[in-house]
Amino acid sequence: MEELLFGIGISAVAGALATVSGAAEDTESDIGSQGDPNSQVQLAPQMGYIHRIYSKAISGEPPAYGLWCTLGAGLAWALMAINYNPVLAIVLGSAIAVFVQGVYATTAYLGRTASLAKFEQPVYIDLIKSVTTVTMAHAFIAIFTCVSMCFLMVNALGHPFPLPLLGIVWGIALGAAGSATGNPFYGKERQYQSQKFGAGVPISASGNIVRYAEAGQRSSLDNGWFTSKMGGPASGVCFGLIVFLELWRTIFFESFAAGWGAVVAGIVLIIIFMIIDRMVEKWARKTYGPYTEEKEATA
Amino acid sequence: MSHNKVLGIGLIGAIICMYLTYLNTLLGVQYFSFFGGIAAVFALWWGTDTIKHLCSYGLGTGVPSAGMIALGSGVIAMILATKVNTFGPLVIPVLCVVIAAILGAIIGYVANNIVNMNIPVMVVSIAELCIVGAVTVLGLTAMATGTFVFTDLIAGTATFFGIPVTNYAASYLGGGAIAVVFMLGAIAVQHAFNACLGPNESQDRTLMLAAECGFISMFCVSIMSVAFLSLSAVLVSFLVSLIGWVYTYKKYFVLSKRDAFMWLDAKPIREKEEA
Amino acid sequence: MSAIKAGGGSEGMKPVAVVVGIILLILALGVVYYLSPGVAFMGLLGVVIGGLLIGFGVHFVPVGGAPAAMGQSPGIATGVTMLAAGAGLAGLFGGAWAAEYGLAVALAGGAIGGGLMMAITCLMVNIIYVYAMGIPAASGKVAKDPITGDTFEAYKSQGTEGHGLPFISYVGGVIGGILGGLGGTLIYLELLEVYETFLPTLLNASPDEVKALAVGLAGIFAIGMFLVNAVIAAYNITGTIEGPHDPKFKRFPRAVIGCAVASAVCGVLAIFVVLV
Repeated sequence: MEELLFGIGISAVAGALATVSGAAEDTESDIGSQGDPNSQVQLAPQMGYIHRIYSKAISGEPPAYGLWCTLGAGLAWALMAINYNPVLAIVLGSAIAVFVQGVYATTAYLGRTASLAKFEQPVYIDLIKSVTTVTMAHAFIAIFTCVSMCFLMVNALGHPFPLPLLGIVWGIALGAAGSATGNPFYGKERQYQSQKFGAGVPISASGNIVRYAEAGQRSSLDNGWFTSKMGGPASGVCFGLIVFLELWRTIFFESFAAGWGAVVAGIVLIIIFMIIDRMVEKWARKTYGPYTEEKEATA
Repeated sequence: MSHNKVLGIGLIGAIICMYLTYLNTLLGVQYFSFFGGIAAVFALWWGTDTIKHLCSYGLGTGVPSAGMIALGSGVIAMILATKVNTFGPLVIPVLCVVIAAILGAIIGYVANNIVNMNIPVMVVSIAELCIVGAVTVLGLTAMATGTFVFTDLIAGTATFFGIPVTNYAASYLGGGAIAVVFMLGAIAVQHAFNACLGPNESQDRTLMLAAECGFISMFCVSIMSVAFLSLSAVLVSFLVSLIGWVYTYKKYFVLSKRDAFMWLDAKPIREKEEA
Repeated sequence: MSAIKAGGGSEGMKPVAVVVGIILLILALGVVYYLSPGVAFMGLLGVVIGGLLIGFGVHFVPVGGAPAAMGQSPGIATGVTMLAAGAGLAGLFGGAWAAEYGLAVALAGGAIGGGLMMAITCLMVNIIYVYAMGIPAASGKVAKDPITGDTFEAYKSQGTEGHGLPFISYVGGVIGGILGGLGGTLIYLELLEVYETFLPTLLNASPDEVKALAVGLAGIFAIGMFLVNAVIAAYNITGTIEGPHDPKFKRFPRAVIGCAVASAVCGVLAIFVVLV
């Protein structure tokens, strides 16, 4: 019983760490304009809209976070191998990983922007000093919490994978969850704030991103508070639920029916989420209604 | 620079550097480990040009996937090559290239003909990328552990009550440290071209960034090598990678300044004049 | 996030290439059968089936790429390779953990782990679309949802190809996660079995001692093969797909054959590590 309670407790801590990690990950990627919305930052100057938005084109978020978290975990593993205290090792590993993230961020901004010279997009070198540091700060939170969570899985829950392998697994999952949940919110609601609410961006408006703020010019730093309204927390909840439910269903139900209990619990959870999704979808159709008069379905 | 010239310099440079790490074994020291990292820099530098070559045809899935397939297949070829010991350890670097070339060619054939991508350079490019991936992992592995022989990569020791005992979990492969090298290579090989993508992309700037990515990866591996090497050897690796990184990073800034439309510090948006 | 427009990826199959592929597959299986007909052969068979499942599973995952982030096309706004990898590796985590309960439970655990990851992610995508952006789900490729019968034409906002995740895409995402998790776990478990059988004699050590090494090797090989298969499948669908109702879905036989061949060759090399 005590062992079970300990396991559930660790799952809860891991879930909480994952929630923080997901929220920080999405905030970081939105401040730096990483992932899919980056294509619009890239497109705007080609359409004649010069801007002062950061452009952090380090592949997609999943591979990028795969690297940061693996690096943090691997360096922590190496430092623990020479008998460093685990807490110190994880902090140092994450700090070095964040340094690498910052270097990659600056080279990505410079590279993409310099390659747009044809469209008269200048390199605003002050952005590198102001924005990079802020993304690094958020990235540190994301990496540190993710690596700590992996450490708990190995050392407290006894997962067979070594720490760096768990870094790859959960780093890629973190990036996938964060980019899937957070990208539309930043891409549609922030970059195209001036477009109609409650509708997709018409393809004809592509590239016409918002470049000016309430006063002065939009800085990527403002994306931080915008993301924290919905995209960040939602990404956090997404990744937190993934980690917590995965651990919880295994620890709590694995003893039933020679391991099949955890499988059944997982199936039940999937069905519950499916029903919630269907309810959300139906609610949206009923409440928002169609955009145009519904024609008789012919096909 | 033509692609074939980049290929030649990259491949030969990487193989020579791989053999230089063998000085470790010959002389019984660990100071020459950093040559493995240099081999990886050569390979990544070459791989960047290959990716540029391949992606100019348009893959439909973006540049990063090419890095993933390169390292995903490369790591398999590399681990097998380190294991083959019938011909002695000196064959390993060449064997690694050969196995990776075969594996890459088959995967390239699958992608080009079975999946029907119909890209003329696909088979050759994926084969090249697989070699790049394998040599990058082999080089960074040699840098982290000082050797590229399988039996050494799985050997780790832990101390119980002051007595050292064999513990595979503390080894390079058993501890999963290879995962770090894997991800470092996967991002480094595609980052340079992905970051410099655009109408004004220029080869010297992209390749300078490729070298920078290589050195920053070396930097990380040099810190990770504290788990396997003596402190003085780690320090040598650390200094070499730091110097290489600072040089290429600064050089990259200079080249970006050259290519940029304007280089502005804390200036407002410069609206285009209406034509 | 593709800054380059899709170029390759035509329809149809080349019979010659398929035959060459199948010959390679049989050759790979034959070599391993010749060297070690027992555990290693079964292991390779498992790896091939695992790769095939991954290649098939990727086709179910609804991915819209960059336009999805602007609400211009349906699907999840990220890259198909990495979303599939995220789900598959989350499944691998669960499957590896349950390995001690036997093959069936571990495989089911891996599959459910991948499915659960996708179920949560897809739900959060729809929550963002509906509650943060006020956009209902609409498919661009079909007029009617094959499962629920919802019509889409009137729910598409002007100038877009649809947006959000209709229920069929949601179900597709979950199936894709399940197949990805199943395939990844199968590759891992089969390789683990091979290494746990051969490493003790090879290294002259007890099975308990080599456990960590077997896990490390099988883990990194499984991740590498997963990525190779996911990228081949992503090449097959050229970046974006809406789910099982998308016309591109019909291309899957090519990817299934391709992934089987690629996994067979990768699997042979991975098994050779303990055979030569």
